Amino acid sequence: MTAAISASGLVKSFGRTRALDGLDLSVDTGAIHGFLGPNGAGKTTTLRILLGLLRADAGDVQLLGGDPWRDAVALHRRLAYVPGDVTLWPELSGGEVIDLLGRLRGGFDARRRASLLERFDLDPTKKCGTYSKGNRQKVALIAALASDVELLLLDEPTSGLDPLMEAQFREIVMEERAGNRTVLLSSHILAEVEAVCDRVTIIRAGQTVESGTLAELRHLTQTSVTAELAGPPSGLAELPGVHDLQVDGTRVRCQVDAGELNAVLGQLTAAGVRNLVTQPPTLEELFMRHYRTDAQAGDDPSRGHPEVAR
Amino acid sequence: MTALAGTGPLVRLCLRRDRLKLLIYVLVVGAIPIGMAAAYKVLYPTAAGLQAFADLSMSTPATVGMLGLIYAPTVGALTAWRAGLNGMFFIAPVSILLIVRYTRAEEAVGRRELLGGSVVGRQAPLTAALIVVCAVDLLLGVFIAAGLISLGLSAAGAVVMGLSAAAAGWVFAALAAVTAQLTVSPGPARGMALVMFALSWLVRAVGDLGRAQGLAWLSWLSPLGWVRLTRAFADEQWWVFVLFVALGAALAAMAYALSARRDLAAGILPVPVGPAEAAPALNSPRALAWRLHRGGLLGWSVAAAGFGLLLGIVGVSMAGFVDAPQMQAWAQRMGAHDAGDAFLFLTMFVLGQVISVYAILAALRLRSEEVEGRAEAVLATAVSRLRWALSHVTIAALGPAVLLIVLGLTIGLGYGLTAHNLVQDSPRLLHRTLLTLPAIWVVAGIAVALYGWLPRRAAALTWAAFAVFLALELGWELQQVSQSLFNISPFAHVHWSIQVTAAPLLGLTALAAVLAAIGLLGLQRRDVG
Repeated sequence: MTAAISASGLVKSFGRTRALDGLDLSVDTGAIHGFLGPNGAGKTTTLRILLGLLRADAGDVQLLGGDPWRDAVALHRRLAYVPGDVTLWPELSGGEVIDLLGRLRGGFDARRRASLLERFDLDPTKKCGTYSKGNRQKVALIAALASDVELLLLDEPTSGLDPLMEAQFREIVMEERAGNRTVLLSSHILAEVEAVCDRVTIIRAGQTVESGTLAELRHLTQTSVTAELAGPPSGLAELPGVHDLQVDGTRVRCQVDAGELNAVLGQLTAAGVRNLVTQPPTLEELFMRHYRTDAQAGDDPSRGHPEVAR
Repeated sequence: MTALAGTGPLVRLCLRRDRLKLLIYVLVVGAIPIGMAAAYKVLYPTAAGLQAFADLSMSTPATVGMLGLIYAPTVGALTAWRAGLNGMFFIAPVSILLIVRYTRAEEAVGRRELLGGSVVGRQAPLTAALIVVCAVDLLLGVFIAAGLISLGLSAAGAVVMGLSAAAAGWVFAALAAVTAQLTVSPGPARGMALVMFALSWLVRAVGDLGRAQGLAWLSWLSPLGWVRLTRAFADEQWWVFVLFVALGAALAAMAYALSARRDLAAGILPVPVGPAEAAPALNSPRALAWRLHRGGLLGWSVAAAGFGLLLGIVGVSMAGFVDAPQMQAWAQRMGAHDAGDAFLFLTMFVLGQVISVYAILAALRLRSEEVEGRAEAVLATAVSRLRWALSHVTIAALGPAVLLIVLGLTIGLGYGLTAHNLVQDSPRLLHRTLLTLPAIWVVAGIAVALYGWLPRRAAALTWAAFAVFLALELGWELQQVSQSLFNISPFAHVHWSIQVTAAPLLGLTALAAVLAAIGLLGLQRRDVG
């Protein structure tokens, strides 16, 4: 399979801030690729480099077989972009903006436009100045989805959408899978990415930390277990898939891999459960753990030890 | 009074956001009348001098239209005349803009909603805005009064003058409080209030100019008329303040009633709708740029036409007014028919500089489109940076040409119709108006060049360059700046007092083109957004 996007060693600094610090990203043609990271990780900067709006300080980047900086106009005929914070011209109506952006891109499907308007429940006659954030987001999404392009670059496209519209968006992206379009979906909502993406790249502080299929990354989805027991537990440490075990008398805390939950619960009930809380980890917790591991191992001297840095 | 809960903290929030700006506003706008009073004391030490100046001013329709009537030939009364309505050019718009900023603009961006969740009553933001703006206006009035008293002018006159400024500010603040309830977005709320300001100006000007025709009563219909009708330093009419307070209170009451009735973030007027589909012509960056600029250009054109007609008509009366022999000789040297022509040349030149402001704003639209992320939306499509930038640069180049043509034609029309020589006068005056165009292009070119290479500082540096050009000109006119230094300014080469030849015009045009090209080259090479 060929790569629709391949970037390696991307570096981009804004003054003293290093937004990208050797980022790698590879997106296969036809894949729906999740691009995950907390706020400020460099997702938007990466997308802007892919669009040729920013020029990388170092690194190689190829988009649809071209150079995004040099061949911007030719490449943009073949892609559509939805920015994370959509701003539109207040004096134009939503319908006008959808048509204008579609025409500037080189044409769009009028039937698809009509059906998307209906599915997203958007009134195209309102002036953009009076739209809410969610409605502005819908305008940009419809303009992008209605155009007949090979690649969709979506930067946190569901921020501002209500849950109903979010579900609608997921459904539409799932349909794109059948249409053989490539989608790069930047997000910080793990559930959204899990629901629609084939492959995922996770970045932090301008660097790629994980990249692979969801199955490969499944180990990231550990469940956090906190239990209050009748007596002290036994045998938990020996079980496979148990991490970060803390036993404090009859209180137990640990992280458990998705497949191993049953065995852990068996050991807990054997000791007698008084109270039990289980919780899937948030994305933030995953990143926090990456951060802690780095700091303890001291494998990145440039970053420094948090205690020392403070 | 749960509706007013939280007013105190909101007042502090407004002051926290703008305290420095508000202070500068009070000091600068307040210093103008105080400075004028000081200047009049020095310039006209004798009663005869004051009388001559007052007579001269009152016999010029343009000044009566702009500034109203002089009620007495004294330093105080002249100050109240010269600074009273002049100050309203600052006080009324600032009061309007501040009220909308604290009320409707906050709602439109959703910050009001953030506060609505805390202990803030529904009338609290409106009340806080009115308190802050009215207090600032009052502070300004007190500052003016104190300054004039310290110069030895009569206390009653000084207080009436300061209070007139404050009270008129209150009326326009209350007016803006009403318009802020009407529309969903802040732009039209500001626009409606500013149009009302312009209308009260017009009504007052017609009243003052047409007093011989029995139209003086019109001035009584306008709050701006009342600013002069309080007759500071000329038999003060204290009761006129009843009018200010009554109108202000009525408008504020209306604002509260509307505010109580409507939903948060909703308006009273229906939300304007547009077409569900774009017209076929809206298919290029150029079409988009035209769509974005056309409203502003239309507004400027209407203003240029109004000024042009007025000036053309006034120019004829100026011909008889400044008919001194040395003016005649100078006018002939420049190819002007008479002193009236010379007056028009000067005014056209100054209005050309005002039109430079349009050119700068149009060119800097590139920057605001970029900052607000709308450039990104266009540049992410199959539109090159050059094509996008040229769409706005074209407007910055052609817009001023349109405005100058409108100005020249209407001046010619007004002058020609009044002097009964339309066919001869119009082309001559249009030609002279268009001479400033290359200088305007240079200013726009500077904006584009800076935008390409120093985008963050482009706006500040462009305005600074423009200010330097104007300052050089002022210094040159006062003979403090040498001709060669003044020549840095593009306006030096099309100045109204010189005979302009083709060479400087071509030179300025070429310079403007080079500057624009440099800017566009910079844009090709830098990051966008």
